[in-house]
Amino acid sequence: MKTGKFLRIAVAVLAMTFAASMASAQLNSGAQTIALNANLTESLTLNLSANAVNFTLSAGSAANPGSTNITATTAWTLKPGRTAVGVYAYFASAAAALTDGVGDNIPSSAFFISDNGGASTALTNTVVFGAANGGLQLANVAITGVNKTGTRNDVMAFNINLTGGTLPQLPANTYTGTLNIQAQATP
Amino acid sequence: MKLQAKFGLPVAVLALVLAGLAAPAGAQVRNSGASPIALQAVLNDSITLTLSANAVNFNLTGSSASNPGSTSITATTTWLLRPNVGSLKVYAFFSNSASALTDGAGNNIPSADFQISNNGGAFTALTNTVPFGGANAGLQLSSTPILGNNKSGTHTDVMNFNINLVPVPNLPAATYTGTLTIQAQAI
Repeated sequence: MKTGKFLRIAVAVLAMTFAASMASAQLNSGAQTIALNANLTESLTLNLSANAVNFTLSAGSAANPGSTNITATTAWTLKPGRTAVGVYAYFASAAAALTDGVGDNIPSSAFFISDNGGASTALTNTVVFGAANGGLQLANVAITGVNKTGTRNDVMAFNINLTGGTLPQLPANTYTGTLNIQAQATP
Repeated sequence: MKLQAKFGLPVAVLALVLAGLAAPAGAQVRNSGASPIALQAVLNDSITLTLSANAVNFNLTGSSASNPGSTSITATTTWLLRPNVGSLKVYAFFSNSASALTDGAGNNIPSADFQISNNGGAFTALTNTVPFGGANAGLQLSSTPILGNNKSGTHTDVMNFNINLVPVPNLPAATYTGTLTIQAQAI
């Protein structure tokens, strides 16, 4: 019995000695550090699928659709604190959204956009860009913790309504204008 | 007998003369006791790891898988080891896997999105638990078997860095900082 106990103790001591030996065999270098600096800059971009729309007008007609839809793709990476991204369509002049250059104009109130299949709406609002009463807010995206980086599409279908005011008497001519699409992150 | 009788006497006389000459010289030699000097030469084991640079910058693009570091860094490991060492390993690690880089406002880039390509190998995320750093926050860069012929040696690890933002698409725009540590261990 005493021999067995002694043997067990001897084995335990040997095991501890071996473990200590293994531990002492470990050797570490000093820890060398690398400072990392990653900058995610704030960005807000808006791209259009096309940059031109043609209209074949019919005098006095309410329905003069544009030749094509245009998709506005808005992409953003925003800083904390931003709460919304707005997308706007606007003209520089409400009275002369399109003009023939000789005094005959199509006002922004006769220019309509249907955004993403919604109702066709005239550009009669004062928005953050462009002329007073010459704009339309296409979208308002609430920014939360889950979409500081995101993207959004606005598919725009266009129409010119020539029924209002003196527009039925609009002379035959070529009318040109520039519609702007722009996004803004706030605050 | 006749020869012995003939030469015995002169030889004996010569021996006595020589002994008489030698006796005065031997009387002047005196030896001290031998004093031992114990010699001990210790060649300490050592591992040193140096880096070619200590900072890396990243220009991040939101949601992009490819955000390479501004520079590669070479870790040079030099060792002098005891005979009982089996291998020398080099590790890269962060102290916390959840926030390898942070903007300090609660937005983090985890170590799982931080990748290292070592010596031209595949980019690999720091998701392993290694002897240093946080759990699931490390990567073993290299393992060198220590044999009879390389108890002393050197090894270089050329690290290229990348941050993959695909898993964190909602990361807000900000500056993210962190510390990557490189350390070697012989065991």
